[in-house]
Amino acid sequence: MIPGKNILYIEDDPEIGEWVSRDLKERGYSVTWLTSGERAIEEAASCNLAILDVMLPGLDGFTVGQRLKKQYPGLPILMLSARTSIDDKLQGLQFADDYLTKPFHPDELAARAEVLLRRSGPPSAEPLELRHLLVYEKENIIKNRETGEEIMLTGKQFHIFQYLLRHLGQIMTKEQIYEAVWGEPYLDGDKTLMVHIRHMREKLERDPAAPEIIETIRGIGYRVRA
Amino acid sequence: MRRHSGQPFKKFRNSLLSRYLGIIGFALVFIPILIPVSFLASWGVNRAFFPASVPDKTEVVRSYGSGLQLENAWHNAASSLSGKTPEEINERLRALKQDYPDASMFWVDAEGLTRLQLPEQSGLPSKWTPEDAVAYMKHAVDSDPFTVVAFIGGKSQAAGQGFMVFELPRKNMKPLTGGREGDYRFYGFFIFLMFSFFILISYLFFRDIRKRLLRLESGMTRTGPNGLPVRVPLGRPDEIGRLEQAFNHMVDELDDSRRREHEEEELRKSLISNLSHDLRTPLTVLGGQLYSFRKEPLSDQGQQALALMETKINDLSGLIDHLLSYNLLASGRYAMNLEDRDMLRVVRVSAAAWYPLWEKAGIEADIDLPEDPLIWHIDEQGFRRVLDNLFQNLVRHAGSGGYVGISIEQRHRKTALVIADRGPGLGSLSPAKGAGLGLQIVDLLLREMELVRETVSYPEGGTRVYIYPLQ
Repeated sequence: MIPGKNILYIEDDPEIGEWVSRDLKERGYSVTWLTSGERAIEEAASCNLAILDVMLPGLDGFTVGQRLKKQYPGLPILMLSARTSIDDKLQGLQFADDYLTKPFHPDELAARAEVLLRRSGPPSAEPLELRHLLVYEKENIIKNRETGEEIMLTGKQFHIFQYLLRHLGQIMTKEQIYEAVWGEPYLDGDKTLMVHIRHMREKLERDPAAPEIIETIRGIGYRVRA
Repeated sequence: MRRHSGQPFKKFRNSLLSRYLGIIGFALVFIPILIPVSFLASWGVNRAFFPASVPDKTEVVRSYGSGLQLENAWHNAASSLSGKTPEEINERLRALKQDYPDASMFWVDAEGLTRLQLPEQSGLPSKWTPEDAVAYMKHAVDSDPFTVVAFIGGKSQAAGQGFMVFELPRKNMKPLTGGREGDYRFYGFFIFLMFSFFILISYLFFRDIRKRLLRLESGMTRTGPNGLPVRVPLGRPDEIGRLEQAFNHMVDELDDSRRREHEEEELRKSLISNLSHDLRTPLTVLGGQLYSFRKEPLSDQGQQALALMETKINDLSGLIDHLLSYNLLASGRYAMNLEDRDMLRVVRVSAAAWYPLWEKAGIEADIDLPEDPLIWHIDEQGFRRVLDNLFQNLVRHAGSGGYVGISIEQRHRKTALVIADRGPGLGSLSPAKGAGLGLQIVDLLLREMELVRETVSYPEGGTRVYIYPLQ
């Protein structure tokens, strides 16, 4: 069992259950597969992520998910369901951290599981390699791999960078970044964010005029590529 | 039938009409009673609050009877003196004076000479002329003392013996009635009081009706949290009470109908959810098996067939989604939550989600949206669905153009969102062309949000989709 990679998977369909648990195991996860939610609470004690189907015999996935969240508030939950209506998604997302509809590509499931595990798990002691940067999440240290120098960011700059790292590879709109970091509604915060990004680039990028770390997606927002 | 026999009467007994008729009837019946009651009340009040003045105990007031009795007695006495000598007349007068000690009396003979006066009075002419007689009579009418003049020897005509006069202070007369003066001075007041009472009863009756009607009106216009009118409290079982009952019945019916509609909506949603689940589960199994095949050594043709099957599974999944959504939308069961939202923000979030796919498909994204918010009255989820369907169409049918442009333009004097591509245009045949369900869903959703979609396709290629508010 790899520490931090234990997944509780509840799926009543034997074919889907077997395929998904095999695929996740092949990707290096330890999977506990249950066909109903009866023993979910006990099994979840040693897990880092729960993947739940909605339509289960006995207790449905929503009820199981709510009980798990109540018992283990820090346990991320991914709903994996063939129910695609917005009502189902909204109901699921009241307690779950993500909602993926069937049919799905196993790569997408693995990617989402990885995001949830990284978000909820303790910061990794291993540094994250981002082109010429080494990011030590646990120590909140950013180093230039080429020069070996530590890059010092201000509090707000670090928050912005941390937020983009948490959503690695995802495009975040300016509104999303501003509201997550400043905790205020985005009204005329565009210039403030732009100024912060410019200063961050001066510190982080090899060539701030051709940024490689913080990518501008014109008209939308920013992205830090994995 | 027997069960209903008493109902019309009960209905009438409880009606406003019967109450009003009751008031009128009571008033009519009471008028004959009202007058004596007023008299009685007036008399009682007068007696209670204005007691009669106590006469001087030293003064003895004798009463000799009523005016009529005195007149008759005097005329009888005069008649009985017919043919009597003056001495006999004097004698008779003296005897009468004994009977009426408080009275004054005298007689005048046929020659007009004043004879015996009991007592002696000054001011009487010793010799009466006709003028003196008329003046005396005129003065005596309705004056105090009460005066009776009678011809001696005849009841009503002169017998040639002269006349005799009787004068008595009125205080010594018996009044015609037993009451006191002023006993009825409050009669008008009590009549007024009684009529005021009826007016008050009528006023209260109509005020009560007015109050209840106003309460009913306010109840009818008040709406509860579910947007329906609320039940009104029931009053008396009269016409207004029945109106209140009917209104409450209508509210209950509306509530029932809303509940049934909600149940039907839930049932349909649940059916669609289950259908979606049942259709998608085998697709997932199929996808899983195909994915397993990818790990097997396959020829190029085999790999291509696998890729095609995966694409078709995705298409089928999308189609199921469209079909079920269309069913909900077309039956009006899609719950819209219309709010004032910054439309550009929703577009940016949607574009951010689609951007990686565009990159993968080699589509260049040109997003040129203003920073200032553009507030539209939309359902955020519904609008996301519109954008998702349009972007999905663009990737499927116009991906070959390698371009997606998202901007804002003025269209028909309205600010429109523009989604442009450089694909082959609408007229061309797309290999992924379907029944157009995705666009039908877009149109249904836009219609619910009072937005319009206008698509302009150019012969040389390229399509521009404009979305703008209807109003």
